[in-house]
Amino acid sequence: MIDQLRQTCRKLLEDGTVNVVIGYGHSGGGRNPAGQSTPDGPVHPVFITRPEDVDTLVWNDRCFANLTVYLTRKEIKALGKPAIIVKGCDERALVVLEQESQIDRSAMYVIGMACDGVGDPHALKCAVCDVHRPRTADIVIGETAADAGNPEARYADLDAFLTKTPAERMAYWTEELARCVKCYACRQVCPLCYCERCIVDKNRPVAIDTSATLKGNFAWQIVRAFHLAGRCIGCDECTRACPAGINLRLLNQTLARAAEEHFTYRAGMDPETPPIIGSYSQTDEEDFIL
Amino acid sequence: MSDVISRQQLLELVDAWIAQDKRAIGPVAVGEDLHLFMSMSDSGQLAMEGYIRPQNSIKEFFFPRHEKIYRYHFKGHNIELEDVEPPATEQLIIGARPCDAAALPILDHVFNWDFKDEFYNQRRNATTVITLACATFDDNCFCTSVGLSPAAEQGSDALLLSIGDDGYEVRCLTDKGKALFEDKTQSSEKTGEVIDGPEKKFDPEPIGDFVRNNFENPVWQEIALRCLGCGVCTYSCPTCHCFDIVDEGTASGGARVKNWDSCQFAMFTQHASGHNPRANQIHRQRQRLLHKFGIYPEKFGAILCTGCGNCMRNCPVELGVLNSVEILREAATRNTGEGK
Repeated sequence: MIDQLRQTCRKLLEDGTVNVVIGYGHSGGGRNPAGQSTPDGPVHPVFITRPEDVDTLVWNDRCFANLTVYLTRKEIKALGKPAIIVKGCDERALVVLEQESQIDRSAMYVIGMACDGVGDPHALKCAVCDVHRPRTADIVIGETAADAGNPEARYADLDAFLTKTPAERMAYWTEELARCVKCYACRQVCPLCYCERCIVDKNRPVAIDTSATLKGNFAWQIVRAFHLAGRCIGCDECTRACPAGINLRLLNQTLARAAEEHFTYRAGMDPETPPIIGSYSQTDEEDFIL
Repeated sequence: MSDVISRQQLLELVDAWIAQDKRAIGPVAVGEDLHLFMSMSDSGQLAMEGYIRPQNSIKEFFFPRHEKIYRYHFKGHNIELEDVEPPATEQLIIGARPCDAAALPILDHVFNWDFKDEFYNQRRNATTVITLACATFDDNCFCTSVGLSPAAEQGSDALLLSIGDDGYEVRCLTDKGKALFEDKTQSSEKTGEVIDGPEKKFDPEPIGDFVRNNFENPVWQEIALRCLGCGVCTYSCPTCHCFDIVDEGTASGGARVKNWDSCQFAMFTQHASGHNPRANQIHRQRQRLLHKFGIYPEKFGAILCTGCGNCMRNCPVELGVLNSVEILREAATRNTGEGK
């Protein structure tokens, strides 16, 4: 699998199809003193511009990052036409980004990786994943035996949470959000938080308290979740990045399920389905207003 | 001979502290792989060992992420200002790591430099810091590279060293430490073991020289390209201390507050004109390393880093001081090789 990945990338760079490969690699701490990649070292995003460097690419169950976040970054765009390595879950972000006119799919090459799941044990999202094999990539590398997941189990955590009383739920979020330091890692890792200037950074006038107090933290996390309503593709990168271990996944799921229940819509699943936030229908129900 | 305290006695000491309405702070298990320094309501929450270190630092108990410095009230056409008294609550921090405590003398310089920050100083005076010497370390630890060690004493009022199931050897380092453990310890033949710590991974001096003399080096792009621009490295750093001052309130009044800020945010240097002198993460990462190894050492004679490795562990894209320094060292070798 890794050989095919490296060969594909080498060829893309050699024949000038792309200028940069956005992938996963080792460096620094992931190398032994002889400079070779160590198999269990940390994995991080790499930007490969020379064919001879493709051997630093890796593919394993620690390839957590959703690399599509880089496609809208100025410094990365400046490197030229990209090839991007995506898992099935990451690929859903490409669909939303294109629907929202943030990327031009014809101006990039998408390398999909068949994925059994990341993390050991597997991340929560992987247990209910139904996109183990990327569906819209230009090439899919590898095979996976992982099944389509159980759609009934998709919102199991949320169902369990909703059996609590409103007071218990409020107490839960109060404890969770009290730990937020507003480092904005959740925003920065999110491929769909691409605003040039986030509302929390607007200071003339201030719209959202910058303070990492309970009030400011609730305001921030509610704004973040609402801006991702019907857009969040459930890659859980925000949850992975949070240094305070806040269960942002649960918050995102609430809105994802609302989109699925009320609009039979799952963000990034089908490029042909109009996005619910970006389309108008006279048949939209009015009894569900956030 | 040494002074020792049993685990049980140590927990009783913490509970006695809490019973006096004082604040006790220690590492608390928040998730499966997550420990954070937090206020404790009883000693049962204290999770001293069995992991590398908490993912935050103790700085927020001296320099909180949010602090009111005064209140203001609009009265007709006038504004009334109201002082906020610096907090006087006594604090006990137990189970700090040497790389947390060592940050305190570093922060002291900043908060007592051209302006004496009474909020910081008041908290510092009212806090006793009990540090636990490290018995283990991981690949992200590099205290020995910045002049510290798993049993470094800087900033601690007392140092605990594990003697296994029997508890801890207690080494009191200041009057505050002595006062806390007075009549609480027993003499023992047992002494805690001090481990060697991580191998020395770099020498900070040439790194300082390099960052001061290579402002426009392409290596900064190499380091910063994957940086996503969040503030997690700075917020979980025991030594990073930047803050913003903002007014928060309503039409009737509010407060002027001091909030943590990060050099990794675009807003940190955004001018009112719209111009941003640090336009991208390349400039911002350069600033962070320059401050740690160049600017701060020049001003205060110490490195703005204790080698805790939190920046490495918390970064969503595996970028921190340690691997940035590795890249800088490679670049420095390249420079020398080319005879620059």
